[in-house]
Amino acid sequence: MSSMHLMLPEYLLAGFVLLTLVGNMVVGDRVRVASWLGLIGLLSSFVVSASIWSVSLKPAVLLNGGVVVDNYSLLVNLFVLLAGIGAILLGWGETRWGQEFVALVLVSVLGMMILGLAGNTIVLFLGIEVLSLPLYILAASEHTAAGGEAGLKYLLLGAFSSGILLFGLALLYGALGSLSFINFASLTNVGTPMMWAGLSLTLVGIFFKLGIVPFHMWVPDVYEGSPSAVTQLMAFGTKVGAAAILLRFLDFGFYLSPQWWGPALGYLAVLTMIVGNLLALPQTDLKRLLGYSGIGHAGFLLVGVATHSLDGARAMLFYLLPYGFAVLGAFAVLIFVAGNQDSVTLSDLKGLASRRPLMAAFFIIVMLSFAGIPLTGGFVGKFYLLQAALFANQPGLAIGLVVGTLLGLGAYLRPVQALFSPADESRPVPQWTVGGAIVLAVAIIGTIGLGVYPTPIVHMVNQSANFFWLH
Amino acid sequence: MIPFSILAVVAIAGALGVILGKQPVHSALFLVGNILALAVLYLLLSAEFLAVAQVIVYAGAIMVLFLFVVTLLTAGKEESEPPEDLSGQRWTAGILAIGVGGALAVLAAGHPGPKVAAGLPVNFGNLHGIGHLLWGSDFLYLMALAIMLLTAALGILVLNRPMRRTHVRHQRRKEA
Repeated sequence: MSSMHLMLPEYLLAGFVLLTLVGNMVVGDRVRVASWLGLIGLLSSFVVSASIWSVSLKPAVLLNGGVVVDNYSLLVNLFVLLAGIGAILLGWGETRWGQEFVALVLVSVLGMMILGLAGNTIVLFLGIEVLSLPLYILAASEHTAAGGEAGLKYLLLGAFSSGILLFGLALLYGALGSLSFINFASLTNVGTPMMWAGLSLTLVGIFFKLGIVPFHMWVPDVYEGSPSAVTQLMAFGTKVGAAAILLRFLDFGFYLSPQWWGPALGYLAVLTMIVGNLLALPQTDLKRLLGYSGIGHAGFLLVGVATHSLDGARAMLFYLLPYGFAVLGAFAVLIFVAGNQDSVTLSDLKGLASRRPLMAAFFIIVMLSFAGIPLTGGFVGKFYLLQAALFANQPGLAIGLVVGTLLGLGAYLRPVQALFSPADESRPVPQWTVGGAIVLAVAIIGTIGLGVYPTPIVHMVNQSANFFWLH
Repeated sequence: MIPFSILAVVAIAGALGVILGKQPVHSALFLVGNILALAVLYLLLSAEFLAVAQVIVYAGAIMVLFLFVVTLLTAGKEESEPPEDLSGQRWTAGILAIGVGGALAVLAAGHPGPKVAAGLPVNFGNLHGIGHLLWGSDFLYLMALAIMLLTAALGILVLNRPMRRTHVRHQRRKEA
């Protein structure tokens, strides 16, 4: 059988982007037609990815090493498709964001999938750009002053970081003479100054997308100004894509030379965990709080890469899923509470426990998972990361992780505390929506399921992270 | 080496002019100078297709578009620079940029990588070489770019809608 069917999920999604655009032109309820088409596209791509994952265990290198389809890339597909489905369901029937919302979400998810299977630097750059361009537009799609600010800020800083990334990739090509990650390993034995310059510039570009601390300035403003469903996609999908390519780039391309990037990553991880969670503490806007929490969680993800071990890669890959479920759940509740407004402050949450007890209970579960309390997925994820850091003999990382978690606990308990304050009767009671309820239910089942019985997912992740020892 | 040095100086001067020009039209014209210098650099590398494409696409199509936009948006307006919030940040940024650029230039000159030392590949930058790449092994990358261009067109549609009147968020901020 030809190996091209391995990229069927990507082809399907690209096809459905075009179909969705045609759906936008159909007379009748255009937003609904486009939403259904987009949802079918994402779901079919999800099913195909899952079925290829269950069949193929051998990594396939296509396009002269430009594309590597293996269990790792397919698992990344599943994660980002989950984020995309969440975004479409959360924005279901929403006319404020324009009828192109669905098509742009699909393109962005396609970019994240490309990042998962990138095997050379051209595909890396293409993936980052295909992911970012729709997000710049989506950030500004609500046409408010804050939305415009978010879009422009994201576009300017994103374009600048793309320039740095491209410069770094060019220097790497000059230093190593190859574009493929597969060839990097044998070439990076001898360090040259040009390679160090290229590697550091490339990492800066990827760290920007991931929101690692010295490059995190854009995150809170962009998260606050963007439509909530889009913020969910940025918080979950973009993090998955950027973390996936970071892991592949370093643990696949530079796996023989961790002495050049490991220490830097370790320090940045500790800095990010502490600064992100510390800055989350004083926030009153829920989206800003989740933005800083996203920075903190990017630091947790970086721990997995910095340990440079198979345990670390597995722990990072696993951590993406509980984090993603928590993001989905938090944004579903945020959208219920926001109603027709653009943002949610902590005072908007007041009285939710008495007015909508079930919604409040779900919100508490999600926040506890962010904080890493036992019986939620977040705890299991942090446990594996801690284990990886200790097994790799890096106690500094473990201490940073614990301190960051404690600071985060304070930040996540403040919204929970607000739930039990007396309600402001002038505010409308939050209403359930069908799409949001589905997302919230999946998120809660996932969070509790991963916390109570993580074994099947752990097996799946362990199989998928094996690319590490491929060559 | 002498033609290269002259062209490099012209290109860098053009790039500096883009940043330092007070009027947007001047910046755009400096950019044309920069692009033309790059095109001649490509010619020196005997990459005639790249040079011609650079002139036609960048200096021709894109610059004309830039100039149209600049003249439409700034016609008859007195452009005054907004005051800086952070005093001295331009000087700091400039010094840092020169430092980083100088360090990279020294690195590149002192430690050329194997790809630089090996010289140019066959058919570099001519019609045959580019066509072979774009329509051969790199065809899927071209398709990804096509989707990006489609997205950009969609973005123009989305962003050109009129702005919403209700600023719920700002009203609520004032209340708080």
